[in-house]
Amino acid sequence: MPYQIDDRPADVREGLYFPEIFRAIGLVVSTFWRNAFFSRDPNPDILERDRVRNRVTTLQYPEEKAPYPAGYRGLHRLVPRPDGSPRCVACYMCATACPAQCIYIEAAEVEGDPIEKYPVKFVIDELRCVVCGFCVEACPKDAIRMDTGEHPPPTYTREGQIYDEKRLLRGPPVSYEKDPWLVRPSKLTDAAQKANRAAARPFGTLGTDEYCQTPGFSVRELAAEAKARGEGKS
Amino acid sequence: MKRFVGMWLVIGAVLVGLVGLFAAFYALAALAAKGAVALGFPGFFGSSIVNAVTLMAVTLMTLAALLTVAERKWSAAMQDRIGANRILVAGKFPLGGVPYLLADALKMLTKESIYPVARSKFLFELAPVLAFSPTFALFAVIPVGPEIRAMGQTVGMWVANPDAGLLWIFALAGLSVYGTTLAGWASNSRVAMLGAVRASAQMVSYEVSLGLSLVGVMIAYRTLNLQAMTLAQGAEVIGPVPALGLLLQPLGFLVFFTSSFAETKRAPFDLPEGESEIVGYFLEYSGMKFGLLFLAEFVEVVILAAVTTAVFLGGWHPIFFEGWMRANLDPLLYGAICATAFLAKVILLTWLQLVIRWLLPRFRYDQIQGLCWKLLLPAALVNVFVTGAAVLVDPSLQVLAWIGVAEIAAIFGITLAYSKPQAAHGGHGHGDAHGDAHGHAAHAAGH
Repeated sequence: MPYQIDDRPADVREGLYFPEIFRAIGLVVSTFWRNAFFSRDPNPDILERDRVRNRVTTLQYPEEKAPYPAGYRGLHRLVPRPDGSPRCVACYMCATACPAQCIYIEAAEVEGDPIEKYPVKFVIDELRCVVCGFCVEACPKDAIRMDTGEHPPPTYTREGQIYDEKRLLRGPPVSYEKDPWLVRPSKLTDAAQKANRAAARPFGTLGTDEYCQTPGFSVRELAAEAKARGEGKS
Repeated sequence: MKRFVGMWLVIGAVLVGLVGLFAAFYALAALAAKGAVALGFPGFFGSSIVNAVTLMAVTLMTLAALLTVAERKWSAAMQDRIGANRILVAGKFPLGGVPYLLADALKMLTKESIYPVARSKFLFELAPVLAFSPTFALFAVIPVGPEIRAMGQTVGMWVANPDAGLLWIFALAGLSVYGTTLAGWASNSRVAMLGAVRASAQMVSYEVSLGLSLVGVMIAYRTLNLQAMTLAQGAEVIGPVPALGLLLQPLGFLVFFTSSFAETKRAPFDLPEGESEIVGYFLEYSGMKFGLLFLAEFVEVVILAAVTTAVFLGGWHPIFFEGWMRANLDPLLYGAICATAFLAKVILLTWLQLVIRWLLPRFRYDQIQGLCWKLLLPAALVNVFVTGAAVLVDPSLQVLAWIGVAEIAAIFGITLAYSKPQAAHGGHGHGDAHGDAHGHAAHAAGH
C-alpha cells in the first residue's frame, strides 16, 4: 500500500522533534515485540505466510526454498522405468538436439534382446548446459526431464558438475501404455508385468503442466536424497 | 507461542543468573575487603580492586561485546529481518547469534594491521587507546549496587566513590574527544580528517548541553556523588512514588539522553562516521586498532545507559518491594537483586538506544548543530532556572516533583495530539472517529 506523504512544512509540534520521535519509538518497539517474541511462519510461499504477529518475510534459503512455477527447467533427470532402469533407449536424439553439445551417450545392446538398446554412459556436463530444454523436447521416450525443480548444486571442482547416468537416474518412475517394454514379452514375471501395465497411462498429446512437472514430486525429498548420497561435496 | 514462552524463560533465566553473578561479586568483594583489613589497609582497598575486575573488566566489557551481537539481532527484529544465525553450535543451535561474538573477536585479532605511510607514527598508535580508555574509566564511579554488610565488612558495588562523581564523568567524557580527533589527524587522510573535525565539533557542542542538563539534578539532590544521588532517589516524594530523576527532571533527562547520545557518535548523530559519504575518522585503521575504536563506541553506549540509570532511573533501586527485600532478605541477596535491577535498567536503556539508532536517519550537519544550540541548550537553561526556583521555594522537592509530573503529562499530551495527515483535503483533522471517516471518504473519492 503506498504511503500518502503530506507535503507541507512542519508545524510547531513537529518542529519540537521529540513528540514525533516518541511516536516513532512506539512503532519500532511494537515491531520489535512482534518479531522478537513471536515465531516466524516458515512457509516458503512468502505471500501465503501468516504475518499477523511476526512479520519477517525472510526465506532461509538453503533450508527453505521458494516453490518454482510448474514448467520450471531445473536439473535434468533420467526418468526410470518401474523396474528402476532408465527409460532411455540411447537414440542420441537429445545429444543431437543439444545446442551446447553437453550430452554424451554410449549405447549398448540389451542382452538377449534383438532390438532394444540402453545407455551404458549418459553424461551431462551441467557447466556447458544452457538449460534450453531442447533435450526434453527431442526425447521420443519421455526419458529425460527437467522437472526436479533444483539447480545443479554448487561444487568446488568442475568434475563435480559432470553428471553421469547414476546421478541422473532418479525420481518417480513413469510408464505409458504403449511403452514397448510393457507390450513386448519380458523377462519379468507375469504379475509384475501386469502391475506395470496397470500403472501405465496414455501418452500425453498436450504439453500440460502435468507433464512438465510431475505431480507429487517433492523438491525437499530429492534434496534430502542427494544429501544422503553425499552429492555436491566432491 | 513456543517462542513467546521461550523468550520470557530466557529473560527470567538471565535475570536469575545475574542475581547469582552479583551475589558472587559481592562475596568476592567482601573477601577482598577482609583480606585488605587483615593486611592493615582500609577495607575498601580490597573491594575496589576486585570491583575493578568484576565490574569493569567483566561486566562492562561483556556487555559491550554482547552489544555487537545485540545490534545485529535486535536491529534485525526491528526491521522485520532474522539477523545473524548462520553459526550453529552443535550443528543445530544458533543460540541467538552469540557465537558471532567469538568469530568477530577472532577476525579482529587476526586481521592484518595496515599502516598508512604518511601517518603520525606515535599518535596513530595512541589514538585508539585515547578513544577507549576515558570511556572505559568512566564506569569507575558508577554505583552498580548498594552498600551492604557481608562477612563483617561493608562493601559497595563500585570501583570508586569520589565526592565529585559527576565532574569525573564530565572530565572523562571531554577527554574522549581527543581519541577521535587524533585518530583522524594522525591518519593523514583528508577523509578521516573530515570525520575527526566533525566529531570534535559535534562533541564539543553537545558537551555544553550535557553539562547543563545535569545541573538541575545537582540542584535537586544537592550532591555530585553518584552513590548519594542514587540513595536520594530512593526517598519518597509524592505518596509512595520515589524521587526518581526522571520524575523530578524529565526535561533534564531528555536533554541529557540526547546530548550523550550525540557524544557516542552513533546514528542519528553518526556524522563523524557517515559511512555513505566519508567513511569516518577510523578510515585508516584496521585489525584490532579498529576493533578498539569500534569497541569504544559500544562501551560508550553502555556507559551512557549506566550514567542515565544512576542519575535518572533510580540507579540500583529495584523500586518495587524494595523495603520488604531490605528487611527480609539476606543482605548479600538484597544487594545482588539491587545490582541486577541496575543492570536490567542498563540493558533496557541500551536497547532503547538501539531502537533510536534504527529509527532515525542521520541528521544533516546544520540540523545537528541546530538541535544542540537552538533546542537542547535553551531547554537545559530553562530547566536549570525552573529547578533552582522550585528547590528554593520548596526544599522537600514536592513542588519540583509536581512540575516534573506536569512536564511528563505535557510531553505525553503533545505526543498523543498528533493529527493524521489527510492528503486529499490538506486539512488537519483531530484523529477522532469523525475525522477518520471523513478522511477515508475523501481518500476514496480521490481515487
